[in-house]
Amino acid sequence: MVATSEKEILIVDDEEVMREFLSEVLEDFQVETASDGNEAISKMKSKSYDLIITDMKMPGVSGEEVVQFAKKTCPDSKIIVISGYSSLFSVGNTTRFGISAFLSKPFTIKQIRSEVEKSLKSSDSETDENEARNAG
Amino acid sequence: MSLLKKLQNSSLREKFVLVVSLVIVSSMLIISGYLIKRQNEIYHQELENRGQALVANLAYNAEFGVILESEADLNDLLKGVARVDDIVYAIVSAEDGRILAKIGIDEIERLNDYQDKAEIHDAPDKYTQRHFYDSDGIEYIEISYPVQTRRQQVSRENLGTVFGIQDDSYGLDTETIGTVRLALTTANLAEEITRSQTAAIILTIMVVFSAIIIMTAFVRIITQPIKTLVEVTDQISKGDLSKSVNISRRDEIGLLAESFNRMIESLKESQQEIEEYNRTLEAKIIERTRELEEAQTQLIQSEKLAGIGQLAAGVAHELNNPLGGILGYAQFTLEKMQKKDLNELAEKDYQSFKKYLRDIENQTRRCKAIVQNLLRFSRSSNKVEFTDTNINQVLEETLTFVEHQLVMNQIGLNKELDSSIPQIQGNPGQLQQVFTNMIINGLHASPAGTQMTITSKYLPPLGEFPGAIEIDFSDQGVGISEDNMKKIFEPFFTTKEVGKGTGLGLSVSYGIIKDHGGEIKVKSKVGVGTTFSIIIPLEKKAAPVDKAEIEK
Repeated sequence: MVATSEKEILIVDDEEVMREFLSEVLEDFQVETASDGNEAISKMKSKSYDLIITDMKMPGVSGEEVVQFAKKTCPDSKIIVISGYSSLFSVGNTTRFGISAFLSKPFTIKQIRSEVEKSLKSSDSETDENEARNAG
Repeated sequence: MSLLKKLQNSSLREKFVLVVSLVIVSSMLIISGYLIKRQNEIYHQELENRGQALVANLAYNAEFGVILESEADLNDLLKGVARVDDIVYAIVSAEDGRILAKIGIDEIERLNDYQDKAEIHDAPDKYTQRHFYDSDGIEYIEISYPVQTRRQQVSRENLGTVFGIQDDSYGLDTETIGTVRLALTTANLAEEITRSQTAAIILTIMVVFSAIIIMTAFVRIITQPIKTLVEVTDQISKGDLSKSVNISRRDEIGLLAESFNRMIESLKESQQEIEEYNRTLEAKIIERTRELEEAQTQLIQSEKLAGIGQLAAGVAHELNNPLGGILGYAQFTLEKMQKKDLNELAEKDYQSFKKYLRDIENQTRRCKAIVQNLLRFSRSSNKVEFTDTNINQVLEETLTFVEHQLVMNQIGLNKELDSSIPQIQGNPGQLQQVFTNMIINGLHASPAGTQMTITSKYLPPLGEFPGAIEIDFSDQGVGISEDNMKKIFEPFFTTKEVGKGTGLGLSVSYGIIKDHGGEIKVKSKVGVGTTFSIIIPLEKKAAPVDKAEIEK
């Protein structure tokens, strides 16, 4: 609630309830929202976010494209995917898609907070991790 | 020709009697004709012989009467002859033709006229034989014989010693001195023949009559059992196998009756067998039909389950979204309430709690609507009830389940729903199943980036056409080949991979629309797209016409 307030988060979901809820839960961060993929991509073009939380299934440009765009334009951004499809990602293959976490709806406040904190913390120590990976 | 026909149509008895009578009459005619002819000949011959003997005798005895020209002697001689039957007249004449004596003078005169036409018949030596007929057609035979004497040896002493034997040594010395003519009538013969003919006719009639009586009796003995056979056959042909032929005889007819009875027995047996077979067949058919119906119900159920399976992911997603909100807000509220003293709730907190709870309420309602929708889909199993149905509403509800799948597959959706369409009599659950099937089929056939258009429109009544609702599902997918087009409504036909489709979707849909009195039409072009049109009439026709036809 205190220190990480400068971190910027983009929430992408076509469900208004979800956007509002996430904004309130993450009120300690700089939160912006987008109601579909197009809006998200245009926002990402003008600004680099620390974390992008995106739904997968959206009309028009899907979450998958948002993820690909984010990884291409700002590889430093962390990505959390939330979806009503529980089978979309299993915990094991999140890294393969290059995302930090996958949360299937409905999730608890605890789950989203811990995933957000974990993602942002790992971005701080990313350099260390990369070095460790190279050594390995 | 007509007689032959009549004969063909007459009964066996009549034929029999007629033929036998003809045989009898003709044989009697031949026999009696021959006998009468023979009798006639014998009588004739006998008459001639008698006449020849008489005339020879007369001539011999008249020798001296002629020599002496004694009329009295000759008359005595002739009178003796006149007593003999059949003699008509007798004349003794001298060598020069003078008549010395005669009897039957009346007859001589009467018959004189007919003598011109007399025929001369062959006769033994010295005899002359002439035949002639009077006006009554009676034949007369006149036999002449010469009266002879021996010239040199004629002496008073020798008279009476010479007997009728005349050898050649004497013949040379004999001299004809007169002629005896004797006429005989065949009147008695004709009478005799008439009697014989009458007897023959009477005999023939008697034989024919007795033959007819015997034949009738005999034929009756033969035909009576045949009649019985005919009656029983007639009853059998009408299906009555209860009768049998009651004839106990040792002859061919008895054998026929026996084998006929055996035939009835085996007929009865086969009929019973057939009835038995029919009964079991009926039972078997009922059993098979029941099994088939069960299998069909199961198949339809599994098609629905498959449909539900296809929807499950969508339903889960659809539910998870509002559930996410509900869970989040509920936890958020709880969290905030735990952190703060309830008595010190600021107006701002109070307002946000209210908002959270309202969101929870709304999202819960959304869940409820989804679940109800799903229930409606799955509940329409056995009992199909028709209610007032708004096709647009059913389409919208269907889309809540499948719209996200379109989105996921990046298939655009155009809805062109005519809000003015009237309600129809239908089963919303079943219709939803059909619409889901149409959309999912289109979805599976469509590549990403294409459009699906769902249209509803009203076809107003026209003439006998009661008016209908048309729902079109148009995709820009791969299309259906001409070969497949014929099979798409067949059960178990699928182009999808094994395990992905039951192959029943369209056939079940077809059945459902048929039950609604409607029809499904397909237009497709490979590589361009497909349009399925569902047309449901406003007035449901007398529903399952097909079933009634099958029962007939």
